[in-house]
Amino acid sequence: MSYPRADDADICLLLEGTFPYVSGGVSSWVNQIIRAFPEIRFAIVFIGSRADDYGSMKYALPDNVVHLEVHYLYDFTTPEKNPKPRHGDTVAFEGVDRLHKCFRHAGSPDPALEAFRAIAPEILPGGSLPEGDFLHSKEAWEIVSKGYREQCTDPSFVDYFWTVRIMHAPLWKLARIAHALIPARAYHSVSTGYAGFLGALLHQIRKRPLILSEHGIYTKERKIDLFKSEWIRDNRNVFQRDPTELSYFRQMWIRFFEWMGRFCYEAADPIIALYENNRLRQVADGARPERTFNVPNGISLKRFAPLRALRPATPPPVLCLIGRVVPIKDVKTFIRAMRRVVNQLPEAEGWIAGPEDEDPGYAAECRNLAESLGIADNVKFLGFQKVDELMPKIGLTILSSISEALPLVILEGYAAGVPTVSTDVGSCRQLIEGLEPEDRALGPSGAVVNIADPQALADAAIALLGDPAAWQAASQVGIARVERYYTDDLMFAHYRRVYEKALAAEDD
Amino acid sequence: MFRSKLILAALAFESSAWSSLALGSSSDRVLLLFLAAHAASSALIASFAWALLPSRMARPRLPVLLFLFGMGFTVPLLGFVGVVAGVHYLRLLPPRGRQERFSAVELPEIDVHLGHGTGFRQAGMRAFLANSAAPIASRLRALVALQNISGRVASPLLRDVLTDPSEDIRLLAYGMLDSKEKHLNEAIHQQATRLHDAPPDSAERLDATRKLADLYWELVYQDLAQGDLREHALRQSLGYTEQALASAPDDAALHLRHGRLRQSLGQPLAARAAYDRALTLGMPKTRIIPYLAEVAYDLNDHAGARALMRELGDWQSLPRLRPVIAYWNRT
Repeated sequence: MSYPRADDADICLLLEGTFPYVSGGVSSWVNQIIRAFPEIRFAIVFIGSRADDYGSMKYALPDNVVHLEVHYLYDFTTPEKNPKPRHGDTVAFEGVDRLHKCFRHAGSPDPALEAFRAIAPEILPGGSLPEGDFLHSKEAWEIVSKGYREQCTDPSFVDYFWTVRIMHAPLWKLARIAHALIPARAYHSVSTGYAGFLGALLHQIRKRPLILSEHGIYTKERKIDLFKSEWIRDNRNVFQRDPTELSYFRQMWIRFFEWMGRFCYEAADPIIALYENNRLRQVADGARPERTFNVPNGISLKRFAPLRALRPATPPPVLCLIGRVVPIKDVKTFIRAMRRVVNQLPEAEGWIAGPEDEDPGYAAECRNLAESLGIADNVKFLGFQKVDELMPKIGLTILSSISEALPLVILEGYAAGVPTVSTDVGSCRQLIEGLEPEDRALGPSGAVVNIADPQALADAAIALLGDPAAWQAASQVGIARVERYYTDDLMFAHYRRVYEKALAAEDD
Repeated sequence: MFRSKLILAALAFESSAWSSLALGSSSDRVLLLFLAAHAASSALIASFAWALLPSRMARPRLPVLLFLFGMGFTVPLLGFVGVVAGVHYLRLLPPRGRQERFSAVELPEIDVHLGHGTGFRQAGMRAFLANSAAPIASRLRALVALQNISGRVASPLLRDVLTDPSEDIRLLAYGMLDSKEKHLNEAIHQQATRLHDAPPDSAERLDATRKLADLYWELVYQDLAQGDLREHALRQSLGYTEQALASAPDDAALHLRHGRLRQSLGQPLAARAAYDRALTLGMPKTRIIPYLAEVAYDLNDHAGARALMRELGDWQSLPRLRPVIAYWNRT
């Protein structure tokens, strides 16, 4: 597969696990933004885990994407054969040691950020801290064994050693990407994490502005994964375990992503959130408040308004969850809620419209759950669907997620006249009940329920589907709300200003 | 002031001693006078020098004084100068650190991995978790501690904080509940597959059926299913229990389970029949009677409940039921 190539670009988008290989809210947003600015030449750096985790592109590349690079962090190149004993650069390793001391030091993050700025350029090709030294030098071994002796509360050194290796290995890969990347006049990352780290590196070596737009809060989502993940070992025995403590390796991973986020926040300006709570979260995680502001998502009314005419007179008894089948969407709660919905409205159906390839294990669990609840016939897994075709056939959009930002699906449903029942996460309450007094005066455009409460979710859905008048009212409110506050024109105007400022900036 | 008087007096005595010698007389009386004056002067200079000594060198007092006196007395003139110069020199020296005495000790047997304990020991977990004003970090640790507690106790606590204002707390609680549920559902799926594949009337079939009955009951017991889901789990468990009973009609434990399920589904009469059957099959009375009393209570048969509880009063082995037994035994 050949990708477009160019010698330079205006804006370079740094995308981790999203557009164009994964479909979903963030990807559609990226697609929207690129197409909204045909005069800007975009480059894209896609960062993924392993090539096998992704299929073909889910989006056609817009014409103004002049350059695309695809990198996989965990596709390791063949390791060095028979590495020789070697010494690393003592000054560089002292810097590494100092940086880690600063990480552990509670209080102001400034010393750590400074130590990071000093050491970061050294991992670039030609620097004094090459990957080989990290993997094979005596100094690296000493730092790792010292870290284990002084800090690690898990007894297994082997696990500690490999955790350190696997955790840090992608940083050199990112450094190589940064080194070889074509010049751009500004960098735009859509998350912190690895893409954000790459952005911070690029900002430091290329002296061009880094824009950060966060949809979900990456660090927080990583934490959810890490709290739940079962692959992280805990080797403490019953006498060593403090029941109130997370396993050390889990804490290591959490801290790793927290600091990756910090580095990115430190380099980025502006830092854009979708809504106020997320902005506050960014500030709490280390973003400077004066650099942050909110730009809510917006959607194209032109595309969705005609769908309203296609709706049947009474709402179809179909509850539809539109989204990837992944744990964060808590599809299982939706399936459980369907058990009650079917008890009350036997003809009701629950549709799950979204790709299942991202977490096949979870998708299988969901299917098994539907089976064990005896509602395999009422719950349909449709795979990826075109939203435009789906909307006229459904009665409600359902969001059972445990974490969201400002979901496009709700807005798209509103524009097509479909009310929503959603969990109280991200800005969903604001989307359903309104934010400012005028917005609230419109009334509710659906219902909000607590997370992981299938009973409440089912009752709210039954209340709307079973009462055509209430459903019509919610549908009308949804239409009014999206037309007034969440159009793409508003969003593009904001980003036009952001891009103009970044492109016009002098070199730092 | 006192010191300068001492030295002046010493000088006065010494000069008078020497002057008495200088008069040229060689009588014994003059020599005695000289020695007396010289001794007095030496004593004065010794006490002067002693007062100037650093405290760590001034002890023991008498020998040091005698030494200083001896120096001044036996080495005329030069002794004086030596004592004064020596004391002055000692005062200029930096104080020497005391010599530490080292001794070898055994390494204490401490597990280094235990080093960084947080020492969080909180009683009243529910109140603490529900207190959204408490520091998030401590509440997170309290939540993590719930990981080692049985689902029946932990699940209601975890569910309580699903609506907490702090997202971290919510998400952690959710993750923990979810993983409990996930394990059970995985096991249910495995056993269902096993049941599906097992030949009819085989021992494996019976085993899978029993396990499924157990697992669905576990969902209810650990309080992981509410409302319609609880009802569904109860009915599934009941279905599998009845299937298992068809193959093993004399299994007392299955009859007990059957009774519990019927009771949870609000069918006290069917429950009582199942409990009676379990009793006749040899299930110990202490295990059945509390449930029978519950059934009697559900049926508004309070006298029956009291009679049953009185029967239990003779048993000492039910500490958790003691208050209940005591209540029903009051007349």
